[in-house]
Amino acid sequence: MILDQLILPWLLAWLMVGLGAYLVAVLDRLLATGSARDGSVWLAPLASAAWLMTQQATTTEAPDAPAWRLAPALYLALAATGLALVPWSPTLVGVDLATSLVLWGSLEALATVVIFLHGWSANAHLALIGAYRYVALGLSYLLISMFVLIGVALPAESLRLTEVVAAQTSLWHVVSQPLGLPLFLMVGLGLTFWGPLDLADSTDLSGGTAVERSGPPRLVWALARAAMLVAFSAIAATAFLGGWLGPWLPGPAWLLIKSLAVLVALLWLGRRLPRFAPERCVTLMWVVLLPLSFIDLIWAGAVALWMA
Amino acid sequence: MAVSWQRRLAAHAPAAVFLAEGARIGPLRETLALSPGIRLVDTPRHASVLLVAGDIPTGWRDDLRRVHDQLPAPFASVWCCCEPFEALHDPIRIDTLEALPQGVAETHRELMLGKRDSAPRLQPDEPPNPWEGLGDDGHGGEGMMGGTPYGRPMAMNMQDDLRDGLTLDTLTFRLGPFHSGLPPGLQAEISLQGDLVQAWTVTRKPFASVVEPIFHAARQAPVPIAELELSRARHHLRRLYRGLLVAGWPRLAERTLSLTGQLSPNSDITALRRSLERGGLWRLALPEPGRGVLDEAQVRELGGPAVRAAGIDEDLRSHDAHYRRLGFAPTCRDAGDTAARWRQWLDEIEQSLWLAGQAARHDLKTAETDAVETPRGPWTDAFPHDMSDLLGQVLPGLEWGEAMLTLASLDVSALDLHPLEEPWQRSTGDREGRA
Amino acid sequence: MTPSLGTHIAFGVLAAFAVLTGWRVFCTDSMVRASFFLLLSFIAVGAIMILLTAEYLGVAMFCMMAVEMMVMALFMVMFMMNPAGLNPMKMVHQERVAIVVGVIAFVVLSAVAVLSEFPDAPLPAEHVPTISLGRELLGDSMLVFETAGVVLLTTMVGVVVLSSRRGRYGCADDGSMPPGLEPGGEPAGQPSEEEGEHTHHHH
Repeated sequence: MILDQLILPWLLAWLMVGLGAYLVAVLDRLLATGSARDGSVWLAPLASAAWLMTQQATTTEAPDAPAWRLAPALYLALAATGLALVPWSPTLVGVDLATSLVLWGSLEALATVVIFLHGWSANAHLALIGAYRYVALGLSYLLISMFVLIGVALPAESLRLTEVVAAQTSLWHVVSQPLGLPLFLMVGLGLTFWGPLDLADSTDLSGGTAVERSGPPRLVWALARAAMLVAFSAIAATAFLGGWLGPWLPGPAWLLIKSLAVLVALLWLGRRLPRFAPERCVTLMWVVLLPLSFIDLIWAGAVALWMA
Repeated sequence: MAVSWQRRLAAHAPAAVFLAEGARIGPLRETLALSPGIRLVDTPRHASVLLVAGDIPTGWRDDLRRVHDQLPAPFASVWCCCEPFEALHDPIRIDTLEALPQGVAETHRELMLGKRDSAPRLQPDEPPNPWEGLGDDGHGGEGMMGGTPYGRPMAMNMQDDLRDGLTLDTLTFRLGPFHSGLPPGLQAEISLQGDLVQAWTVTRKPFASVVEPIFHAARQAPVPIAELELSRARHHLRRLYRGLLVAGWPRLAERTLSLTGQLSPNSDITALRRSLERGGLWRLALPEPGRGVLDEAQVRELGGPAVRAAGIDEDLRSHDAHYRRLGFAPTCRDAGDTAARWRQWLDEIEQSLWLAGQAARHDLKTAETDAVETPRGPWTDAFPHDMSDLLGQVLPGLEWGEAMLTLASLDVSALDLHPLEEPWQRSTGDREGRA
Repeated sequence: MTPSLGTHIAFGVLAAFAVLTGWRVFCTDSMVRASFFLLLSFIAVGAIMILLTAEYLGVAMFCMMAVEMMVMALFMVMFMMNPAGLNPMKMVHQERVAIVVGVIAFVVLSAVAVLSEFPDAPLPAEHVPTISLGRELLGDSMLVFETAGVVLLTTMVGVVVLSSRRGRYGCADDGSMPPGLEPGGEPAGQPSEEEGEHTHHHH
């Protein structure tokens, strides 16, 4: 019991964090142009990580000590928890809760808190602006994410991710709820503040919430950001692309392929678009995407009723 | 001392460089951005090498000391055409541009491999003001708040909000003079309400900006129009590069910069323009139309692309007989806002390339030497002077991101009337191409 | 079903953590810290709910409280820009009243816990808390919850409208008068002068 309920999920989650974060670094470099000048694509992330490990962890004039120290670790823990929820096959699941979808939702909400604390605790102006800019936008991402996820729970009649996958045996949700995946991907970029929606650690703030960070904590923060993106891709693949379902290959392989596809799509978007202006982003979220998520939810409900 | 595998691995990482730009340097940031093994960072906290280039006037040296001490150990500073701090024993000086990228990368490697000790801190690590709060937690004063810890009074103000009437507390801080998003040398005291710029006071003027030597040569004798126009296009491309970095689009920024190296009279930037339009730079990233507008008096004083972006066809090139022979007419935008100024760059680059193509075919030189339109603005008997106080009028009321993009679109520093000396002089032409 | 030793230990630790962080709320000198200590306390309570097999309620508690405390903290930082609580503030007011109310609430709740008789009704094996909660929320109690929800939403919209200085007819500081029905006429929809005088005399 201790083996398969404590140790296995733990191992599974941290394996995904480590490999996933490395993969994000490599893929992002491959998608960037002019990547060749920083040496080998495969070695570069490791070298950068080693460099950060040798560096001193600086501190600011009067930071909020607990939050300043804990925020990167907490964000990493949230990402790992998210990865533990992903079902690899009907039986290979890190944590198979009856409410895993809601737990994912609360991870998103808690991530908002942690990102805020990361910027706020630094006691520095640019980090602070990044922090509450993220919160102001994060609330709109959260709403959209909730509605889209309720949409996938409806046909499954369950909040359990394994049941959500099982409900897609005949038809994946990406087809039966066409609005769901695009909305979830937009929300994913926002919640993980990546690419065009990187409004927390952005260049106009010289690095936003991480502007005062150096050394190992900065590495942990970067690791956590990448791991969160991986977690998001894996959840998206589970909720919309049928998770482990697929012919010929074993379940975990299918999940891996699908998650990778989502991850590459997110990273590609990140490289293809400029950063959105925060004000336009708020308008986009509340005026365009939120109503679309309502439509998605109504659509999902209607389809669920019709199929039942 | 045996070097651990970790440090050996770290030596392979690109050198993270924070560039403190002094006065009278060429496009060093752009050159470094294209150099292998170097990554420019926006904050000293993310760097392992502090690169100081160009003149740092006396008044700016204390700020530089503070920047120097913010780098996390192990770190080193490299000085290029600048006198190092006396407190630094064994400072690294590299005064030739050819050796600079290599030298910086080497410094990083030596730091990692333990061949070089981390630089000493120059100032004591203590708060600038003592703790002056009252009571156990400092809140034992009268009423809810007490004391002025660290010399800062409670953030409190009753200023009106500029956006929606929701009055928030004001956060006042200083930015610069070596902040990478600001023109080199500029320091500003900024008050924010939420993320809205409430007040912007320039406390240090930016260093004068230097244009390529050919513009100085054009004041002395006729120069080939093709070369002059290519220089102008390069200047605008570099500004576009810096703007795109602020806009969070590193991929396009690098592409823009790589164009500067291969610019010829036959180049065109249609593909770049298409990528910018399709990616949604104007639709999604730049401030909405009407933000960052300058009025007529302001743009006339500012001159250059900003004045033409406001619909005023003021361009000294139209007084030049040979330009007129090429069919030159100033290109203008009407709006005069931030978005229009970004478009104006593209228009002017395209126009310059077209002019260069035409002029190369006819082998034309400039006719006028008394009036030269530099990329910064018109240079006759008068020349563009420092307009940084303008920022205090334009930026308030803008959201932080909009303010930074507006700032990127404005060239407010004075024009330096003396051409660059060695080693910068040779840096301007073909260097970026070779890098 | 008798709870295992692990459950007992977990309950003890979580309960102690909830009380400790709850107490810290009143000791800290920054509003943001106070709200996040409260969040920690709520998270511990949520975990206790999961131990009590109210899994959905527990997890929903994380979600709700995280967003709630975040919004609270955001507003506080917006109105009091105080990065990392550099300038400390006294967070405790009206101590005496608060102590009295706290003690009374504690006594009443402990009395309920100690004195009342709890029904001894073991859960049926096939009981699914999420489904029964859903039936309760959207069955008999639906009217109550929906009404409460709509009232809260209206309140929020109302507060925003009331607190906005710039209204339909201009800035509130400038008197915010509606335009006249004819050009240059009296402001429309205002109580007439005499009527105002009339009511005044009654007082």
